[in-house]
Amino acid sequence: MSIDYRHLDWKLIGAALILSIIGILLIYSAQYDAATGASQDYYIKQMLWVCMALFAFIIIIHIPLRMIDFLAYLFYALGLVLLMLVFFIGHSKYGAARWFSLGPINVTPSDIAKLALLITLSRFLAYTKLRPQSIRRLLISTLITVIPVGMVIVQPDLGTSMVFVALLFSLWFWSGLSPFYIILIISPLISLLTAFHWLTWVVYLVILIGFILAFRPGFLSGSLAVTVNLFFGILAPIVWNRLADYQKLRILTFLDPGRDPRGAGYQIIQSKIAVGSGGLIGKGYLEGSQSQLKFLPERHTDFIFSVLGEEFGFVGTLIVVVLFAYIFYRGIMIAARCRSKFTSYLAWGAMTILIFQFFINVGMTIGLMPVTGLPLPLLSYGGTSQILSWALISLLVLADYHWTEY
Amino acid sequence: MQHSSTSTDTRVKISASLVILAVMIIIGTLFYHQVIRYRFFAEQSESNRIRVQPVIPKRGLIYDRTMEVLADNRLSFTVSLVPFEQQDGVTVPKLSELLGLDSSEVEKRARTNFVSRYMPTPIKRGMGIDTVSILEEKGQYYPGITYSAESVRRYPDSISAETFLGHVGEVSNDEIKPDKKDYRLGSLIGKSGIEKRYDMLLRGLEGTRYIEVSAKGQIVGVYEGKQEIPALAGSDLVLTIDRELQQFIVRNFDSVQCCGAVVAMNPKTGGILAIASFPHFDPNIFSGVVPPDIWQGIVSDTNHPLLNRPLAGLYPPGSTSKLVTAGAALELGLVNENTVLKPCFGGMQFGNRFFRCWEPGGHGRLDMYGGIERSCDVYFYQLGQLLGVDAWADYARKCGFGDKSGIDLTGEKAGIVPTSTYYDDIFGKRKWSPYLILNLAIGQGEFTITPLQLAQFYCGLANHGVVNQPHLLKQIIEPTGEVHDVEPVLAYNLPFSQRTIDILRESLKLVTAGDHGTARSLRNKYYAVAGKTGTAQNPHGDNHSWFAAFAPADDANIVVVVLVENAGHGSEVAAPLAGKIMKYYLLERLPATIAMEETARN
Repeated sequence: MSIDYRHLDWKLIGAALILSIIGILLIYSAQYDAATGASQDYYIKQMLWVCMALFAFIIIIHIPLRMIDFLAYLFYALGLVLLMLVFFIGHSKYGAARWFSLGPINVTPSDIAKLALLITLSRFLAYTKLRPQSIRRLLISTLITVIPVGMVIVQPDLGTSMVFVALLFSLWFWSGLSPFYIILIISPLISLLTAFHWLTWVVYLVILIGFILAFRPGFLSGSLAVTVNLFFGILAPIVWNRLADYQKLRILTFLDPGRDPRGAGYQIIQSKIAVGSGGLIGKGYLEGSQSQLKFLPERHTDFIFSVLGEEFGFVGTLIVVVLFAYIFYRGIMIAARCRSKFTSYLAWGAMTILIFQFFINVGMTIGLMPVTGLPLPLLSYGGTSQILSWALISLLVLADYHWTEY
Repeated sequence: MQHSSTSTDTRVKISASLVILAVMIIIGTLFYHQVIRYRFFAEQSESNRIRVQPVIPKRGLIYDRTMEVLADNRLSFTVSLVPFEQQDGVTVPKLSELLGLDSSEVEKRARTNFVSRYMPTPIKRGMGIDTVSILEEKGQYYPGITYSAESVRRYPDSISAETFLGHVGEVSNDEIKPDKKDYRLGSLIGKSGIEKRYDMLLRGLEGTRYIEVSAKGQIVGVYEGKQEIPALAGSDLVLTIDRELQQFIVRNFDSVQCCGAVVAMNPKTGGILAIASFPHFDPNIFSGVVPPDIWQGIVSDTNHPLLNRPLAGLYPPGSTSKLVTAGAALELGLVNENTVLKPCFGGMQFGNRFFRCWEPGGHGRLDMYGGIERSCDVYFYQLGQLLGVDAWADYARKCGFGDKSGIDLTGEKAGIVPTSTYYDDIFGKRKWSPYLILNLAIGQGEFTITPLQLAQFYCGLANHGVVNQPHLLKQIIEPTGEVHDVEPVLAYNLPFSQRTIDILRESLKLVTAGDHGTARSLRNKYYAVAGKTGTAQNPHGDNHSWFAAFAPADDANIVVVVLVENAGHGSEVAAPLAGKIMKYYLLERLPATIAMEETARN
C-alpha cells in the first residue's frame, strides 16, 4: 500500500526517535567502564534494535488497517503460543522465566502478547453490538484478558499482567463504559485491601454504599457489587489468618517488593539517591558515581531513568518527561479524532500501554511505585521492548494517517 | 442509566486531566528530589562511594642489646572468596586445589565467615607470596577469589621468646575503652610481655585514608577530595636481652631438662640479660589464627608451657634464701660471723619433733661461714629460732620477697612471705606450731618466691646492697632516629650493713671455693664464683633444684638463677648449668659485646 509520507505525524515520530537516541546514549553511560574508557557492547546492540524497530515501524505503517483487523484473533493465538513456549524453553533470571532464545536473539513473549491483546480487545470491543455495560461484553473481554494474565503471572511477572489489566480497563473506558462502573468493578479489590482492619473496612463500605446510592446503577448491579464487596471483605481476614507466616510473607513481598531491604528495597534506595544527587543540571555525562560505580542496579534496563536523572539532573528528566507527555497528548488527540472505532481503540490502547509503562517505571525509580521490572518504553535496553515501543508508536501514526476512514 | 456511557468529549477531558495530573506528580517528585532535597541525596551518594580506611602504621621492631632483631613484621596473605563473583563448579574446586584444603572444608569456611555477598570472605590466612603470585598471574582462572595482605609479627623460635617478648593479637572487646580511641575492632594489640607493656610505643599512630569504592566494595582508587592523614610508625625498642646468651641457655636447658626457669641479670644495672621458661613454645602460633589442635596441645600439656615460670612460677626457694636468715641474724646482732652454734648430728630435736639436716651424717660444729658453705640446715634452724617469724619476715620482705619486682613485663606474681598474722589467718590465732619458723629459715614451708625475685636479691648481694629495678628496655629508637637511653632505676637497698653483706659474699664464695662447698665444680681459673645451691622440697614430686650465683665474685657482671623442676639437689643439676651460662657469658659474650660497642663508638 502506498503512503503519502508528507502526511505522517512527523512531530510524534521525531519525539519518539529523540527518546530512542537518548536511550542509546544512556545505555552507553550505564555500561561504561572508566578503567578501560569503553562501554560494553550493549549500546551497539541497542542501536541495532532501534534500526530493527524503525524497520518494523516502516512495515507496520504500510499495513492496511483491514489486515490488522482481519488477523487479530490469529495474532492473539500466536501470542498465547509464545507465552506457552516460555514454560518449556524459557530462561530464568532472578527466579522468573520471562524469555527464550530464538537463534541469537532473546524473545520476550510478554511484550508480543501486549500487542496481541491490544489488537484483539480493540477488535472485539469495536465490533460487538453489546452495550458497554452489558455483563456479556464485560465477561468476554475479561476472558480474553485473563488467559494471558494467568500465563504471565505464573512466570511470575506481575508488571506485565498489570499492563494487561490496565489495557482492559482503559479500553472499557474508551469504548464507552462509565468510569463509575470501572470503580464498581475494582471495588472488591479495595475491599480486600481495606479488610486488614474492621474499622477501615466499615468506613470503606459506607463510602461504597453512598457512592452506589448517588449514581444508581440499577438494583441488580448495585446489590451485586455490595454482595461481592461483603464477600471479599469478610473472607479476606479469615483466609489470611489461616495462612502460615511464610505464605503471608510471600504475598506481602509480592504486593510490595520494597519490604525486602536487601533486594528490591536496596534498588529503590540506590535509585532515589542517583536521581536526587543529580541535582538541577546533573553530574555530567559518564560522571554519575551511582551508575559508574555500579551502586545502581539494572542500570541499562529497568533503571535507565535513574542514570538520566543522575547525569543530566532535573533539566534532563524534565526534557524526557515533556517528550513523553507530548506523545501522550498526541495519543489522546489521535484516538479522539479517529472515525473508525477499531482504529480509535487501537490508538487508545497503544497509548495506554506507553503511558502505563512510563508511569510505573519512572514512578519506581523515584520511589512512588514498587519494583515491578517493567522497562521504560523507547529508552530501556532490550530488543523486544524497543520493537514493541515502536510498534505502538507506529499504530498511533497509522491511526492518525487513516483517521478519516471508517 | 444516564451514566452508562460517555461521550468522546467527556472521555478526552477525563483522560487528559488524569494524564496531566500524573505528569505533574512525576515532575513534582523529580523537583522535590533533585532540587529541594538535592543536598541530602548528594551526601548519600558521597558516603556511598567514599570509605574511610585506617592506615596501619608499621609496628616498631624489637632488638636485643647487640641490635639483633627479636621481633619484626612480615607480610602474610589472606585468601578470600567473594560470593557474588563466585562461579558454580569452578571457584570452590580451584580454591581447594590452591589452598590444599578439602572442597567441603572450603565451603564450610565460606559459610561460617560469610559477611555479605559483595564482601571478601576469608578462607585461609597466613598464605605465602607463592600462592599470591599464582593468583596475580592467573587470576582469570580463579573467579571470585581475592587476597589481602596484612602485617604479621614474626618472632624467633626456640629462644623461649614468649617469656619476655609476649605476642600480639586482635584487640578484645574489654580492651577497647571508650575513652581511648587508639584501638578499634580488629586492631592488633600487645597481649603479653614487652609487646603489651610497651604497646603504646610500638604501635605508633594510625592514619586515615579516603578511598573510592564501587558497589561491590572494590577499591576504585584514592578519593582526591580529602587529604590523607599519614600514619606515624611505632618506635623501635632495644632490649637488655643478649640473644646469643638466651639461645645458649635454651639450647643447654632443653638438652637435659624439661621444666624450669633461668634468669640472667646484669647486677650493675638491673638489666635482664636472658630470661627463659621451660618448656617453651613458638610464639608465632599466635600470628593469625591458632590452629585448634596445636592450641589444645599446649593447653592440655601437663608441663604447663603457658606458665611464665621466671615471673609467675612460685616455688619455695630452698637453701638459696638462707642468706636472708643469715643476714637478718647478723644485722640484729643475734650472732656474729664467728658464733658457733649447737652441733649438727644430721638433725636436731625441737620440742617433740626431730628436724633433719639434708646431710644425714651431720656437719658438727659450724660458724656462719661454714653454715653457708656447707648449707647446714641445723645451723639455720637455730638462727630461725633466734629470729622468730616476724623478724625473719620483715627482713625477707625488705629483701624483695613477697612483692612484685616491678619488671617491665606482664603477669608477674608476688609470692608469699608468711608472718604470724598469715599463720593466724590459716590456723587460727596462736594455734600454729612455733617451729614453723624453722622451715622458713631454710627456705621451705609456706615461703614461696619467683626465680626473678631471687635473681634480684642476688643482684643486691653482688652489687654491695644496691638493688636496681629489673628491666628489659634499654633504648627507645623513635621513627625520627632519635634515641632515648633507659637509665637504671634504684629499686631499694638491701636491709644489711656493708659489713653484713661482706660476710655473706665471703660465705657465698666459699660455696664454690671452700673445701666443703656444695658447688665446688664451678671453681675455675678465670674468675671467682659466688653462689648458693638450693633444694626445694616439692610435695608433688621430686625436689626442685636451685642455683643462684654471681661472677666475677668481687665485681660481678652477671647474676644467674637456675631452677630445674624435679631435678633433686641443686648442686647436681642447676649449679653445673649456671656455671656453663656464666662461663659462656663472661668469656665469650661479654668480651664480644665490649669489642662491638667499642667499634661502634669509633
